[in-house]
Amino acid sequence: MEVMKKFFSFLGEVSHFGLKGLVDAFRPPFEWEFFLIQIEEIGWQSLPLILAAGLALGIVLSMHTRGTLVQFGAEAMIPTLQSASFFNELGPLVTGLLVAGRVGAGIGAGIANMRVTEQIDAIESLSVDAFKMLVVTRIVACILILPMLTLFMDFASLAGGFLSEYLVSHISLQLYLDRAFKTVEWANFIPPTLKTSVFGFIIGTVSGFFGYTTDEGSEGVQRAATNSVVLSSLLIILADVILVKGIFFLFPRNAL
Amino acid sequence: MSDPAAVQFEHVFKAFGNRKVLDDVSFKVNAGEALCILGRSGTGKSVTLKLMIGLLKPDSGKVCIDSEDIVHSSEEDLSRVRRHIGFLFQSAALFDSFTLGDNLALPLRRLDKSKSPAEIKRAVDEALERVGLNLDVAKMPSALSGGMRKRAGLARALVLHPRLLLVDEPSSGLDRITASEIDDLLLRVKKEYGATLVIVTHDVRGARRVADQIAVLDQGSLIGFGTATELEKSDHEIVRRLVTES
Repeated sequence: MEVMKKFFSFLGEVSHFGLKGLVDAFRPPFEWEFFLIQIEEIGWQSLPLILAAGLALGIVLSMHTRGTLVQFGAEAMIPTLQSASFFNELGPLVTGLLVAGRVGAGIGAGIANMRVTEQIDAIESLSVDAFKMLVVTRIVACILILPMLTLFMDFASLAGGFLSEYLVSHISLQLYLDRAFKTVEWANFIPPTLKTSVFGFIIGTVSGFFGYTTDEGSEGVQRAATNSVVLSSLLIILADVILVKGIFFLFPRNAL
Repeated sequence: MSDPAAVQFEHVFKAFGNRKVLDDVSFKVNAGEALCILGRSGTGKSVTLKLMIGLLKPDSGKVCIDSEDIVHSSEEDLSRVRRHIGFLFQSAALFDSFTLGDNLALPLRRLDKSKSPAEIKRAVDEALERVGLNLDVAKMPSALSGGMRKRAGLARALVLHPRLLLVDEPSSGLDRITASEIDDLLLRVKKEYGATLVIVTHDVRGARRVADQIAVLDQGSLIGFGTATELEKSDHEIVRRLVTES
C-alpha cells in the first residue's frame, strides 16, 4: 500500500513538472537562444544514430520478411509490408526509444550536473528562471524534434529495404516506391508520426525531472541519467499502447 | 542617523525537514564592510549566503538587503535587488557549455539590457583583465585550473559592479598561494568598489586578513560576532578555536 502511495505521489510530481513545463512554454520571456541550442543537440546530433538505425532495421526487416513471403509467392508485398511496419509502428517507437536512450540520459545527467555544481543556483541568482531556461526548452525541443526524426527513420528504413531488395531481386527504385506507397494514406502516416510528440514530451519531462530534482552529488548525476532512460523508455512503450488504441478509435481504417 | 545596514538578519529560522539549519540568527553587516562567516561543516554557512540572495527563503524571520525585506518581496523586486549582488559559488559554478566570455556576458545580457554588444564585450574584457584572465576569454571552463575557475567566477560576480558580494569558500580546493591571491582580489574589490563582502570560509588566515567582522556559526546558532581580536577572548571555546590561526 505504501509503495503504491509513493508511486502515485511520484507520478503526480512528474506530471505536475511536465504540465508546468507546457504552461511555461507559452509564458514570456521566451528562451530562443537556449531552445535553438537544444534543437541542435537533440535533433541534429541524434540524426546520424536515427539514420543508421533506420537503414539497418530496414535491411534486416526486408531480409526476414523475404524468406516468409517468398514461400507464398508474395515477395511483391515486401515494400508494402516494409512501409506499413515502419510508418505505423516501428519508425515512431524505435525513434522514441533511441532518443530516450541518447537524449534522455544526456538531459538527465546534464541538468543533474548543473544542479550539483551549483550552475542552476548561479542562473537563479541572476533572476533568470532556470526551469524555463533548462527544462522547458528541452521539453519543447523534444516535442518538436521527435516527429521529424521519425520521418528520417521511416525513409532511412525504406532506403535500407530497397537496398536489400535490390541486391537480391534487382527491383527498380520506381517499382519499389510504387509498391511501398500503394497502401499508404495520410491517415496511417500522419497520426503515428505525430504521436511521437507525446514520446518527446515524456522524454523531456522525465529526464528533466530527474536532472532538476537531484540532490545527491555525483551519484545523483549517475542515477538521474539511468532513471531518465529507464522510465522514459517504459512510459513510451505504455503510451504507445494507449496512443495506438486512440488512433484506431479516431481513424478506424488504420485498424483494418 | 546611521547608514542602513547592507545586510540584516532578524531572528532567522531555517530547517530542512527535521534538521534545524539556522536557529534564531540575527546580525547585520554595514555597507562597505567585510564579514567572514566561520563554522564547522554543515552549520548553515552556505545556507546563510543563499538566504541573502533569495535562493532560499527562511521559515521565519527577516532578511533585509539595503533595508529591503527580500523574504516577502515580489519576483520583480527580488530581481532588482539581485542586480546589485554578485555571488561567487564554492565550485565557481561557471556554465560549462559556455566560453569564459559568454559566462561573463550572460549576467550583463540578462540584468543590464541597456548595454550594446560592444559595451558588453568591453565590460567582459575589463572584468577578465581585473582577475588576470584576459587571454582566456575564448576558453571553456573545463580548460581552466581550479584557481583560474575561482578567479573567473569572481570576474562573473563582479561584472555588474555589485554593491554586495557573496563569496562561498573562496579558498576551498586551492593551495595556500592561490588562496592568498584570491584574498588579495577580494581586498581589492572591497577597496576599489567600496562593496560589502560576506564570505563563508574555513580559512582562518584568509578571514583574518579580509574581514572587518567575523561571525561564528555552530549547529545553526550564532555563537560569536565581532572582530578577530574580540572573538579570541570569547567565553565560547569553539569560537576561540575557530578564530585562532593554527
